[in-house]
Amino acid sequence: MKKLLAILLSLMLIIGLAACGGEKAPEAGTDSGKTDGEKETVAEGKEVLKVVNLINGNLGDKSFHDSCEAGLSALKEEGYIEYKTIQMGATEADRPKWKSTLEEVSEQGEYDVIVVGTYNMQEYLIEVAEQYPDQKYISYDAAVDLPNVASITYKQNELGYLIGILAATFTTDTSIENVNADKVIGFIGGGDIPVINDFLVGYIEGAKFVDPDIKVDAQYVGGTSGWSDPATAKELSNVMITQYKVDAIWNVAGGSGNGMAEACAELGAWFIGVDSDQEQAFSEAQPELAAVTITSGLKRVDNSLIAVFKDIIDNGASPWGTTTELGLAEGGVGVATEGNYSKFFGDEINKVIEKAKAGIDDGSIVVSSAFGMETAEVEALRNEVSPRK
Amino acid sequence: MQNVLNAMMTPSFGYAILRMTTPILFATLAAVIASKAGVSNIGIEGIMMFSALAGVIFSGMTKSWVVGLLSALVVGVFLGLMIGFFALKLNTDIVLAGIAVNTLGGGGTIFFLFLASGDRGASNSITSEIVPKINIPLIKDIPILGEVLSGHSGLTYFAFVCVILVYVLLYKTPLGLKMRAVGENRDAADSVGVSVNKISYIALALSGLLAGLAGAFMSMGYMKGFTVNMAAGRGFIGLAAQAMGQGEPIGGMLASLLFGFANAIAINLQGAISLSPQIIQSFPYILVIVSLVFYSLSTRNRLKRIKRAAIESDKTEAKDNS
Repeated sequence: MKKLLAILLSLMLIIGLAACGGEKAPEAGTDSGKTDGEKETVAEGKEVLKVVNLINGNLGDKSFHDSCEAGLSALKEEGYIEYKTIQMGATEADRPKWKSTLEEVSEQGEYDVIVVGTYNMQEYLIEVAEQYPDQKYISYDAAVDLPNVASITYKQNELGYLIGILAATFTTDTSIENVNADKVIGFIGGGDIPVINDFLVGYIEGAKFVDPDIKVDAQYVGGTSGWSDPATAKELSNVMITQYKVDAIWNVAGGSGNGMAEACAELGAWFIGVDSDQEQAFSEAQPELAAVTITSGLKRVDNSLIAVFKDIIDNGASPWGTTTELGLAEGGVGVATEGNYSKFFGDEINKVIEKAKAGIDDGSIVVSSAFGMETAEVEALRNEVSPRK
Repeated sequence: MQNVLNAMMTPSFGYAILRMTTPILFATLAAVIASKAGVSNIGIEGIMMFSALAGVIFSGMTKSWVVGLLSALVVGVFLGLMIGFFALKLNTDIVLAGIAVNTLGGGGTIFFLFLASGDRGASNSITSEIVPKINIPLIKDIPILGEVLSGHSGLTYFAFVCVILVYVLLYKTPLGLKMRAVGENRDAADSVGVSVNKISYIALALSGLLAGLAGAFMSMGYMKGFTVNMAAGRGFIGLAAQAMGQGEPIGGMLASLLFGFANAIAINLQGAISLSPQIIQSFPYILVIVSLVFYSLSTRNRLKRIKRAAIESDKTEAKDNS
């Protein structure tokens, strides 16, 4: 019995060590430990902010965290900030560290700004930021209403609008392989909830901006794990493609998206990713999935951080206590343009997008938002464009 | 609505029912075999997740689906025995041990996935293999029926073979007899010299094996690749189907098919009828409740009828005697 206990304990120790090792994986390319002696590169007369970037996950996710890192590293290149990234791990088991790390760096008071993100950190940030009113925080993709926190959120309805424009343009171009004459595009969300419908509302309006007759088949994976049930997503995609002649499906269901991409690859349709450049993510080991990915809708954490820091340093802005919503016109949302994108979209599409951007900028186009919409309104909108009626 | 009816007439609808039934059927059999031997395996969901991951990692490493499948099974058996070790040796509550495996399945798979590939959400950087699809000769040439029955993953056919295997094991072999004896009354079985612990371990190992097959189907049949939490409650549905099928392999199979059918309908209904997606997504579960009500009503009526008949025959007997 004792022996067993000893073995178990040592196993746990090893696993614990391995976990720590994993976190500091060099492939991620952090700048931790290199923050000293960087001041020379800073342009003269400019204030250099000391920043710590807390990641509730790991670098190398090809998504949010990498985008955040890219933004900060660009700021450092230009001499605006010096920073350090702490990777706190992504799993349930890492969760306790998220709050304690946040408390620790707040307590140290060494940094001018602490950058955290995602709604997972929201409640911890509220708690900790209240305790340290003199510490400044930036929270991206989650709004925290405190006087020492600057929040950045992204207009997913405008991201939807942009993808809607692309998908609609795509489905009307029958010269592309596997694009049929029916003008139907697909949308699969994780669940029927406001934030997902915000993507959808924009998607429908963007598609209609290109062609008012377009049909949008909107479905939800649903259930307790709508964002991690690729099998159900695959079934939904099968029906979309075979029964309703959908030729492009947008994944707004996170991990369930792999099921959609597989259905597209098997049945001859096209896939649009979300959050990260999914074509790039697939390209390493699943080339058949990468091949059917047209583009991906992205929240540009990098651009948003650059904008906020430059505003603070160059213009002396004080965003603390406010929430900045970034959309298409501000570059807060965008699409992945590397890889397959250029095969399908030429200069014409850029003109359409520019037109949409200008319209949003001058207020002639207002993209609706699902927030504040009645459930019945969303349903009516969905029914109006559904190919199933 | 017309669209939905049309869709239900297509062979691909029938094909989808069998595909959706497969993981549930394996999970159901895993629950059946454990509960028959008096040990409840709540950890099927967690075992499915680990096995799904093992299948992907090892088939990706070796480029052989056989190795992938076998390692999924080994992991399943190992976790089944682990639950047994905690429950039988260390005297933990077996339900808690099962819940622990489920919780571990969520976080632990991310950890191992990260160790093996550096991925977190899904096994995007592993090129894995799938269990080959089988076209059944002769049947595949029959119109409609052929399209429904032929061309499934080998595991789908094996799931239905397993129903027979489990049935034979439980009712036609000495081991099955011992298992049922232990399940009915551990002390009685013990008193006649059956090694209760050994039988319980065997039952949990077999249960883990079947749960492992369910997991392997998720990542090496249904999908090609692993996504965290991809079992998505199918293990729990298996537990429900086991209860619905009165803990019998055949009954469990029918219940699994019912779930598969309800899921296939739910997939087709969304957006086609004026009901909110949430209601349509809960359709399989509503169907289960309704069918359970009918089932218990009919059992109650039958029992009443038997009772009444018994009373009447008693009366007539009494009359005759007097």
